[in-house]
Amino acid sequence: MIRPTIYFDDVNERQSLFHRRAFLFGGVAGVGLLVLGGRLVNLQLLEAGRYRTASEHNEFEFLLTAPPRGLILDRDGVVLASNRPDFRLLLAKDEHTDVDGVLARLSSLIPMDDARRRRLAADIAAAPRKAPVTVLEDMTWEQFSAVNVRAPELPGVTADMGEVRVYPFAAAFAHVVGYVAKVSAKDIAKTGPNAEPILLNPGFRIGKQGIEKAYDLPLRGTAGARKVEVDVKGRVVRHDPAGDIASVPGSPIRLTLDADIQNRALEVFGEESGAAVMLDCRTGDILCLLSAPSFDANRFVKGLTGPEYRALAGYDRKPLFNKALTATYPPGSTFKTMVALAALEKGIDPATVHVCNRAWAWGGRIWHCDAAHGALDMHNAIKASCDIYFYQTALAVGPDRIAAVARRFGLGQTFDIGIPGQKPGIVPDTAYKRRAFPHDPVWHPGETPSMGLGQGYVSVNALQLAVMVSRLANGQKALQPRLVHSVGGAARPTGAAGPDLAVAREHLDFVRAAMASVANDVGGTGYGASQLGLGPVKMAGKTGTAQAHSYQGGRGAHGAQGAWAQRDHAWFVAFAPYDDPRYALSVLVEHGGFGAQAAAPKAAQLMRVALLKDPEVRARIVQPLPGAPASQPPDGGSPAPGAAPPPPTPDPAGGGTA
Amino acid sequence: MTSGAITRVAEGAPLSVKLTQIDWTFCLALAAIAAAGGLMLYSIGGGWSPWAWKHLALFGVCFLLMIALAMADVRLWFAAAYPTYALGLLLLMAVAVAGHSTMGARRWLDIGHIRVQPSEIVKIGLVLALARFYHTLPAAKARLSGWLLIPVALIGAPAALVAHQPDLGTALLIAATGGVMMVLAGLSLRLVAVGLVGLGAILPAVFMFALKGYQRARLLTFLDPQADRSGAGYHIIQSKIALGSGGLLGKGFGLGTQSQLNFLPEKSTDFIFASLAEEFGFVGCVTVLVLYAAVIFMALRMASLAHSHFARLAAAGITVTFALCVLINGAMVMGLAPVVGVPMPLLSFGGTVMITMMIGFALVLSVRVHRYSEVSSGRGTLV
Repeated sequence: MIRPTIYFDDVNERQSLFHRRAFLFGGVAGVGLLVLGGRLVNLQLLEAGRYRTASEHNEFEFLLTAPPRGLILDRDGVVLASNRPDFRLLLAKDEHTDVDGVLARLSSLIPMDDARRRRLAADIAAAPRKAPVTVLEDMTWEQFSAVNVRAPELPGVTADMGEVRVYPFAAAFAHVVGYVAKVSAKDIAKTGPNAEPILLNPGFRIGKQGIEKAYDLPLRGTAGARKVEVDVKGRVVRHDPAGDIASVPGSPIRLTLDADIQNRALEVFGEESGAAVMLDCRTGDILCLLSAPSFDANRFVKGLTGPEYRALAGYDRKPLFNKALTATYPPGSTFKTMVALAALEKGIDPATVHVCNRAWAWGGRIWHCDAAHGALDMHNAIKASCDIYFYQTALAVGPDRIAAVARRFGLGQTFDIGIPGQKPGIVPDTAYKRRAFPHDPVWHPGETPSMGLGQGYVSVNALQLAVMVSRLANGQKALQPRLVHSVGGAARPTGAAGPDLAVAREHLDFVRAAMASVANDVGGTGYGASQLGLGPVKMAGKTGTAQAHSYQGGRGAHGAQGAWAQRDHAWFVAFAPYDDPRYALSVLVEHGGFGAQAAAPKAAQLMRVALLKDPEVRARIVQPLPGAPASQPPDGGSPAPGAAPPPPTPDPAGGGTA
Repeated sequence: MTSGAITRVAEGAPLSVKLTQIDWTFCLALAAIAAAGGLMLYSIGGGWSPWAWKHLALFGVCFLLMIALAMADVRLWFAAAYPTYALGLLLLMAVAVAGHSTMGARRWLDIGHIRVQPSEIVKIGLVLALARFYHTLPAAKARLSGWLLIPVALIGAPAALVAHQPDLGTALLIAATGGVMMVLAGLSLRLVAVGLVGLGAILPAVFMFALKGYQRARLLTFLDPQADRSGAGYHIIQSKIALGSGGLLGKGFGLGTQSQLNFLPEKSTDFIFASLAEEFGFVGCVTVLVLYAAVIFMALRMASLAHSHFARLAAAGITVTFALCVLINGAMVMGLAPVVGVPMPLLSFGGTVMITMMIGFALVLSVRVHRYSEVSSGRGTLV
């Protein structure tokens, strides 16, 4: 038996107290549940729209698709830069990704050495979360499918198809067209705080040099996007084609260059170092703008390895350097055309005769010429490139007049051709001397004779000399060179739209006739080397041999003797046909020796390509004698007997700028 | 069997009679919640595995266990009260010494192949022990007296051990359950008010000195989830997005992008309510909350009908545990409370909690079946 242990009053008190308290608790719990319900009203009914947007923001991502980059074409539509498909492998990491493990598994599918793996691991570590890093490009189809099949074992890895830039001519246009390369952190920083997202796209390339750089934005186009559903790890679950945004391809850019001439120029130079610029001297269109030796632009698209880059940068013929624009040299005797024009404009009679005895005493020292030319008038002095005649002419004209004429012909200037990197060079005069030499601001008379030979302070680039000779040949207009014909179909103004060239007709005729003699008359410095062999179509030109180093002190080598880096620079400027000028060019052979030997034959070869491509010129060549050979072998580079190359003389100003 | 002073239905009645005394509406509500959990687990698991079939199978087994235990006389529960509590406390101490550690916390004990979570045993044990203690305590002493130090110790020991694991959520749940039971047993409301004010006063000190770094971070993150979008704040933000984007009717079964694409963390356990909210919207949420409310109020009513003080308090204690779980988890999922590891009972996937809750409901049902039973004061009676 159990004795009753509970006092009833206490039982009743405890029971009623419990009931009250249980009721209280029930109320509190009920209020709690109502609060939850109220919160649900707030979240799910009142603010549902906001959270729905946030949910879609989580769920959907727009993956940028790079637009196809615009083509770069030559004047006839030959493709200089295009795109080809490229299978590549991307890796996007998040905090759960075992990068080392993934790379180890990848390397069993795709050969990958340890150094490469380490570099990739570092790249991936540096990349922001979920930003894909390109692991491999240019995969073969087998590799591409092997990775796709084993994708589940490789979290974060995706294989996709992109486009990669390709330069079919590799080297010939490398300096002008430039190249694209990977976007560097510096490039992104340059675009400001809000970098264009496409720049962060893996494998995206931007223009780093030349046209590719200067016209990067029009070439780039506008990025599109694929709308995809992603999970929390960023893996694409589904593609929603209806939400895609189409990309706008980049605009094509047509250049004025002629692929045939440019390619021929690269062949003609071989391993020699120098530059060749050809202009259409009726329009100013640049048909050829070559710097030799060159490099394969395609290597830069992939990314050069360290040794590759060091080999290019360390080569003393400087393949990475655009010698047609960025390097300036003394123009040598090609400058005598400017001195002669200045003399004519001053009223000096071209029939004035000076006697050349190979040496001329003036100003307390002896001035040399490379031959005893005897008594010469101005025409013959240009033809034979007599230095002693031009020492005295330059003295008679004075530096300021010579400089004024030279500037009118484009020397000392840069031109708006669309790509950067032009060096203006120097056209010296008394004002220049005051500006540049505050400690010795006076133009000494002894500085004038060397200026007359295009030495001393005078320095020009190959484009400027080509402009100079094209203005001489054109005679009407101060031609502006044009490199970019059209961007996306919109043509840029031709160079013939510029102001008139204020030079008297008879003065130009005189200089042109003298240049014709240089190339075509026995005794002209360019006689042998500049024969085109195209019947009535002949070239007019002027040789130049620019001193690279002072000969004093045993350094430096006259002409083509001595160590390469000590030799003279060889110039040849020319236009053709000389009676109806259409093409003008300048050829520089760095340390090539005599202009007539090293530069003139190259000029003749390039001129032949241009002339034979021109149907009107071709008609002239073929017409007179139906049996005449239309294309006899070129004259070769052998200097004609009796052609006296004009080397410069020691110059008191202390050597030209090389 | 002996007969008590008052004999009513079910006092030693045959099983068939006892079964009719079970509140089947209550059982139906439990089954409905578990079924909703199974449905959600099927949706987010993409099929019966990995979660849905286990969840439903376990519920089935636990349901049978619950009915079976509900047949047990309240006096059996009474007798088991202190032993259960003692076992739970011993195992908690064992865990502190030799527990299996997951994610830096020692919460589990491996006994053979079975993994035991002693904090779950102690949840039931504490409710039983407190009910048994108060069973023999007169109302005046339950209101305010030195005897109350015993329940405080009964609550404090397991709560401290669990907090030490560290499992702050469960420790708070244990402490809060015990506290509410003391109030239900008649604790002076004036003292409760003073205690709450005092708790508010020492909370900053607890925050600064007693909490571990990640616990502090969770609390801070709760106050400003945007400050740490990808870390601790991520859970709260994603959970709110899941809830809000569900709208009135939800995105539809299997179409919840937040949970299907794994933006929602712990989607099968602590945050399953958010998955449900995303796929079934406001309507689904309110339906489930109404079911929870029904369970809570029915259980409280069953507790109130009991004749013995032990049975009343024990059933109410289980109800308090359940209600606190629902409220804390709901508040956490909706961004009203910090993220603490308290699951939504019966809805969340997780065997241990399911077993605990169903044993607890077995006690509640037993209290209903044996509501007319008187329980002796047993040994050590105070009156």
